[in-house]
Amino acid sequence: MQPDSSKNTADYYKHLSLFWTDIMHLMSSKPQALTSTGPMRAFTANSKKVTTELIEINEDLIGFNQYLTEYYKQLADAWGVAQKKVNLKSPEVPQNVEQIEAFKRIWIDMFDNDFTELFDSKKFGENYGKLVSKELELTKHWNNITNVVLQSVNLPSKEEIDEVYKELHSLKKRIGKLELKLKKKETRKNA
Amino acid sequence: MHSESKIDPKIMEEILKFGKNVIDAPKLVSAPDEISLEVTPHDTVQKIDKTRLLHYRPLTEKQHKTPLLISYALINRYHILDIQPEKSWVRNLLLQGFDIYMLDWGSPTSMDKYLDFDDYVNGYLDSAVEHIKNESSTEKISLQGYCTGGTIATAYTTLHPESVKNYIATAPVIDGWRDTTVISNLAKHMDVDKMVETIGNMPPEFMYYCFSVLKPFEQGIEKYIKFFKNIDNKKFVDNFLRVEKWLGDTPPIPGELFKQWIKDIYQDNLLIQNKMYVGGELIDLKKIDMPTFTQIAVGDHLVSPECSMPLHYAIGSEDKTLRMYPTGHVGMIASSLSQKKVLPELGKWLSERS
Repeated sequence: MQPDSSKNTADYYKHLSLFWTDIMHLMSSKPQALTSTGPMRAFTANSKKVTTELIEINEDLIGFNQYLTEYYKQLADAWGVAQKKVNLKSPEVPQNVEQIEAFKRIWIDMFDNDFTELFDSKKFGENYGKLVSKELELTKHWNNITNVVLQSVNLPSKEEIDEVYKELHSLKKRIGKLELKLKKKETRKNA
Repeated sequence: MHSESKIDPKIMEEILKFGKNVIDAPKLVSAPDEISLEVTPHDTVQKIDKTRLLHYRPLTEKQHKTPLLISYALINRYHILDIQPEKSWVRNLLLQGFDIYMLDWGSPTSMDKYLDFDDYVNGYLDSAVEHIKNESSTEKISLQGYCTGGTIATAYTTLHPESVKNYIATAPVIDGWRDTTVISNLAKHMDVDKMVETIGNMPPEFMYYCFSVLKPFEQGIEKYIKFFKNIDNKKFVDNFLRVEKWLGDTPPIPGELFKQWIKDIYQDNLLIQNKMYVGGELIDLKKIDMPTFTQIAVGDHLVSPECSMPLHYAIGSEDKTLRMYPTGHVGMIASSLSQKKVLPELGKWLSERS
């Protein structure tokens, strides 16, 4: 397959990487069967998943860096504006302890006000939300890669552990409610 | 060209003194880890999962008949209500003759990620109330909810009004859309489904971030300069370290509970509209028909007054009091103002109804 003009480079390399992972897997599946109980068999069977995750991590990293750059840009802009306000309000270099104290108070008040205004703004909230969301995407890919490793040594994946937690929670809830009902009945009886 | 220096020698003196204080600090003060935040003597009377019900030992011979249970917030630990003897909320109420219980939510781990509002309201809180009713042989108790503990206590009071004689809401998180704080802005833009699905519980580090953007320069720089400047002031240093230790000790929040809290309170604002469900039951604020005392801090930058105040107007009670204090979120519960004004007013109101 050739990269034509309608396909972007990222898609081409994604395809190229998945193609070779698939081919390698098919070509090596027979020798692998000899060691079907060892960790390498399970790992290579899932290696396509690792490749896919790594490719997607790269895509998400680009998005993450965009939001991170915007995050620091917003902070730097707010810093610049606040510093200008401080310079206007207190143009002289402080010469004694009292002046330093007064300057420090002005500096802290101005910076706190301007940064609080930034953190309260929609543009900051939106960008921060997207930044955290991208970070979570990266965590998700990392979780998925770890799951492949866990499965290769016959350990439960995150989803399987979550299922156990969910079941435990549900059982504990039911028992807790029954115990509380009994306790309330007893209280009423003793009253 | 020669320029004459105008720098005051006192500046150098101050800088040198400050440097000496920084070097001397470890010799003069305890490390936060060495400080115990358990101030007023108490007994653990019930343990369910990671939660503990604490019963404080009385400090007066005679006590009011109705016990008071405090439902603390989900962020940080209950210690701020008993941070040191002179500023202890708990100790003050004990000295006013009240029988005090505190619900410690504990530190949830990964396996607690499915705990939700229902578990907290109809599980832990209801079990604690039932235990107190049994232990004190009363049919009803007084309930106080602080901050997010106020949201849980409010939900509980609407669902179990038969167990609550008096309700005290201290800076409760009620009306998310009216909240003007930075936390509410971050919460409104949060993809909470993805967060809980990916990482489970809300990690403490994320909470630290949310708090670090509140007055970042006052809290991040000035506070520590003041600490080192006052390193010889034993009382100041002790108070500073206790509050710092408390600030640094925030447990994770169970994922499902966090999700419902962010969505129902900050994003969809269901509680104040009487549209929120807990354990399949509707939370109707009109069902709060018992005496209710709402305490609000005018300078609260964690839960803005506009977020707490609507509770006073939304409840069905005819005996309701709203008090506003010129202080902040923590100042309302752990300061000299709280000892001199907030607690005496609360004690007077509560003793007339206990």
